[in-house]
Amino acid sequence: MNDRQLLVRDLLVLLALTGWALALPGIASDFVIAMALTCLMYVALSTSWTLFCGATRYLSLATSAFFGIGAYTTAVALEHLPWVATIALGSGIAALTAVVMGLAVLHLRGTYFAVLTFGMAELIRHAISYFEKSVSGTVGRVLTVVPELQTIYLTVLVLAVGTVGLSIWLRRTRFGLALVGIGADEQRAQTLGVDTRRVKVIGFALTAAVAGAVGAAMAVRWTYIDPHTAFNPFIGFQTVLIALIGGVATLWGPLLAAIVFSVLAETLRLQAPQVYMMTLGLLLILCVLYLPGGLASLRWSTFQGWRRDMAGWWKARRHEWSGDKEREKQRARRQRVLGA
Amino acid sequence: MSVTAWSELLFSGLITGAIYALVALGLNLQYGLMRILNIAHGEFLMLGAYLTWFAAVQLGWSPLLMVPLAFVGLTALGLAIHWLCFRRLTATSPNLDVFEARGLMVAFGLMFLIQNLVSWIWGGDLRGYDFLTEPVKVAGGQFAGNKLLIFALSLLFCGAMIALMRMTLLGKGVRALMQSPLGAQLVGINVRRLHPLMFGIGLGLSGIAGALLSMAYTISPSVGEPYTITALIVITLGGFGSMGGALAGGLMLGIVEALGMHFTNPSLKALLSYCVFIAVLLLRPRGLFARA
Repeated sequence: MNDRQLLVRDLLVLLALTGWALALPGIASDFVIAMALTCLMYVALSTSWTLFCGATRYLSLATSAFFGIGAYTTAVALEHLPWVATIALGSGIAALTAVVMGLAVLHLRGTYFAVLTFGMAELIRHAISYFEKSVSGTVGRVLTVVPELQTIYLTVLVLAVGTVGLSIWLRRTRFGLALVGIGADEQRAQTLGVDTRRVKVIGFALTAAVAGAVGAAMAVRWTYIDPHTAFNPFIGFQTVLIALIGGVATLWGPLLAAIVFSVLAETLRLQAPQVYMMTLGLLLILCVLYLPGGLASLRWSTFQGWRRDMAGWWKARRHEWSGDKEREKQRARRQRVLGA
Repeated sequence: MSVTAWSELLFSGLITGAIYALVALGLNLQYGLMRILNIAHGEFLMLGAYLTWFAAVQLGWSPLLMVPLAFVGLTALGLAIHWLCFRRLTATSPNLDVFEARGLMVAFGLMFLIQNLVSWIWGGDLRGYDFLTEPVKVAGGQFAGNKLLIFALSLLFCGAMIALMRMTLLGKGVRALMQSPLGAQLVGINVRRLHPLMFGIGLGLSGIAGALLSMAYTISPSVGEPYTITALIVITLGGFGSMGGALAGGLMLGIVEALGMHFTNPSLKALLSYCVFIAVLLLRPRGLFARA
């Protein structure tokens, strides 16, 4: 397929999925809609995460901070502002935070960056909960007026579709190519005239803007918001996990993984939360070990490769257990002695 | 404030600092030698603490007996984990950067796995037992006996670890591998044997820390995470890969926390350590004691 055909395919798939998602509230029960809502939330979060972090291979663990900032903005501002303005405000504040954070930490690479973003996310969480406790004198905030489930669903759907669309479009622009170039070799990209610092900060801010908007929209699902639910690090972890398990360099991988995970989460988490988390951990380990390209890289040849590996392993074990390996070693040793 | 109060405050900081140092030493060994940033390190501490609690309460064993047992058990667990996960990861990763990123993810997986396994088996309640709680008078101040024991044993094991690194052939091999992996292999240091062993010892140290911790504090399945973060802070303070730096950094952080909590507000503790962490990473990313 050439570039144009790929674009048409991606757009058609997106259109079809959007159609199904739009039709869902009319035909499904409230439980299914709630599940779809979680699913759409993770689609938006993990797609926006791969937008920057997948392309540049900067492992950011700050998603929960941006999500929380968005959620907290809603908690504070929803009483005074209309719905759309609240979301825009949450998104804007998250992006602004990302710009400041990015200017400070984006010159670090690899593990330093990952650990620092995590530290900053925790710092923001603790700072806000301290501020609430000592200055505002509250532990959390209660949302009194919330929009209907339909409105929330549509908002999150628009955000998810927008993010995937943005991702499709961005891959074809100079900016997207610059991001990929930074991921491949940052110095080379710099030499070729990419203003890497600017590109990285803008990319990071884009990720944060989406996460903030999603947080602002999802906040109304909880009627009571305190810093520990809004800035729950688990939301950030799960976003990263979904992106990694889906495949960070791909467009549809995170979407696929988000669907699988939300279904898994909603069905398993209520009955056995620990089993769900253990499955999550085990899946992550297995995925990193055996499928480093993610779910989207799964092809028929992958299974064949695994079968070949297994067969090779089993052959080596048989070779060892039957004593052939030991005999061969002895034979080689005897020949060495005779030859000397 | 009187001299006694000051010494009690400083000493309580040193006690927590000694545990921080012990946890950080293990993490530092793993990161400095193998570039495995084991974010699940605190979970192994929690596992050691739960094993000790289980042995003390259910089986009636002395917690002191559990200190070496936790070390042996967690070292064995570490060998198994290295054999199952990191051996393959080393073989399949194209370069060290990719290995580091993937290793971090595997460690996240381990974190979820262990934390939830423990809370599945033993539940999420706070657990604890009494051990040597009578206060002891030392140098004018009064301290709980178990905390003094924790302090002494932590320092002892830290010292033993540093001596192992400085004085034995094994330690020399490890330091050589940290300096130059290729050069060390050229002179015949066996990576395939040293890497699993050091990973195991790193976990073993956190097991000891957990066993000691359970003697004086109550434990829950989420007790490990703050220690992971603290250990990260300590090894950034002391410099990645530096054993003496980790010990000094741990004690220092303990004192800073104790002083900060006394003079400001206990709920600021986490905020304080994150501020120290971010400031050090941004200003002196190679550690406080690194020579430029």
